Amino acid sequence: MNTPLPAASADSWSLARPGARRSLILCALGAVLGLAVAGLGLFSARGTRTSGVPAEDIAVVNQVPILLSDYVLQLRTLYDVSLSQATPGQKRAALDSMIREELYVQRGIELGMQSDTVEVRAALVGAVEEQTAADATMAQPGDEDLRHYYDRHRGDFASEGKMTLADYVLPAGSSPAAVGTARAALQSGGAPTGARRTGAMADGEEFYFAARIHLGDRLFAAAQVLNAGQVSPPVVMPDGIHLLVMQTNVQPLPAPYGDVRDKVLAAYVTAQTAILAAANERFLRKRADIQIAKGY
Amino acid sequence: MPQRAAGLWVGATLIMVAAMIGALVMVGNARSVRDRIVRRDPDLILADTSLAPTAIAIGREGYVKHCSSCHGQGKGDRSRGIPDLTDGAFLYGTGQVGEIEQIVLHGIRAHDSRGWQLASMPAYAHPRPYAAEPIPPMSPGQIRDVVQLLLRKHGAETDPAAADRGARLYAGSGGCYDCHGQDGAGDNAIGAPSLVGDAWLYGGSPETLTRTLAYGRAGVSPAFDRFLTPLEARAIAVYVAALSQHPPGFRP
Repeated sequence: MNTPLPAASADSWSLARPGARRSLILCALGAVLGLAVAGLGLFSARGTRTSGVPAEDIAVVNQVPILLSDYVLQLRTLYDVSLSQATPGQKRAALDSMIREELYVQRGIELGMQSDTVEVRAALVGAVEEQTAADATMAQPGDEDLRHYYDRHRGDFASEGKMTLADYVLPAGSSPAAVGTARAALQSGGAPTGARRTGAMADGEEFYFAARIHLGDRLFAAAQVLNAGQVSPPVVMPDGIHLLVMQTNVQPLPAPYGDVRDKVLAAYVTAQTAILAAANERFLRKRADIQIAKGY
Repeated sequence: MPQRAAGLWVGATLIMVAAMIGALVMVGNARSVRDRIVRRDPDLILADTSLAPTAIAIGREGYVKHCSSCHGQGKGDRSRGIPDLTDGAFLYGTGQVGEIEQIVLHGIRAHDSRGWQLASMPAYAHPRPYAAEPIPPMSPGQIRDVVQLLLRKHGAETDPAAADRGARLYAGSGGCYDCHGQDGAGDNAIGAPSLVGDAWLYGGSPETLTRTLAYGRAGVSPAFDRFLTPLEARAIAVYVAALSQHPPGFRP
């Protein structure tokens, strides 16, 4: 059974005096403080953005923030000035341009530009693809992963082969004996009778890709297998019979891992991007409701 | 005795309330400093003694978490093309906090349209050395000539005639001048390194230069804008700037 409060307590209440009202007031005080703390967290937390412009933003347009860092970049791009160097006019103009852009983007979405405008659709597709690639770039593989990738794709990181050769041509229809004589002369280091040197490969050492372009595929194939000092068998071409004299031939060599680490990383990221993109597309298709008309 | 208990009650309550108010003030103050860090002109934070220590402390934490796996303690690694962040030589921009922040957020060749990706080093031992522009390839001899030119710029040429030929290539069909400038001073607006300074991203030996010319370079720095808060990105940029500017009292 509760004891009634003394009559005086109603008139001269004291926090120091035990009583139900004191407990209630302390509870209320605690509740108010709790609510204040919760409110501070709730209304100023990143993501809620309901209490004015958050510190990291320069403006909020229909609840969409414009980041201060983007604004700083805009000032740098438009006027080549920092935030503190910018004049009030420059600041205003930069902000106006960013707000205008945001309004137009929002209006574009309202109008369904993403459905109707080819350029917007292409930009969105490209942006999503780039996002996938960016995620792959973020992966920051360790050296072990990269070495493993390098070991599995060593041929992709080979140096470009180089060769220096002389290309001689005898007239079409030359007799086998004449060709044999010319070849023997070249093998002994002499000048071939009845053959002229072509302009192909006359500039000295060439990378394999350039040699292939200058010689053509057939002659390049014949040249590629020659060692220094060797003369090719006769190669019959529409313009005559060719004899190739190899002077230097440096075959492509797998580059040491340390020399091509940056290339390995780039290739690894490209491969990861392809894997991520494929997984992304599978996911999108899986969750999508796609109905295809009969006959298609 | 009841009065004493009541006094204790009141005292404890007041202490509790005061502690809570104090905590709120401290939280508010800390938030205020953090808000000011993201609100302030990034290029002025290091000079602001009321903000720099907090920014550097937050930045150090973020750097260790997100950057140190590649950049280590900031000294770089030429074998991997990782720049020295302490030497004051900047490939992109001039080392201002705002510029570094953009790299932290949007990266270099990180597939972020707001990042740095204007140019890369062509691979001259390739049929099409540069995807973005039609530049003719070079022969092995031409690459040797350009290497001699680069060595000349550092007083280390061994074949003056080759260096002369290299100079003609540099200013002509090689197209080197287009990014590195006629004087070889580079262009930090596109990330083209100076060819006359002592700072080499990958090294300045003839072998390394030959490899660079033959097979190109295109270093990457990831874009962290989806993984960092604006405060973290800003603070990391402040910390990285401090690595080269060495403000008073700064310890890496």
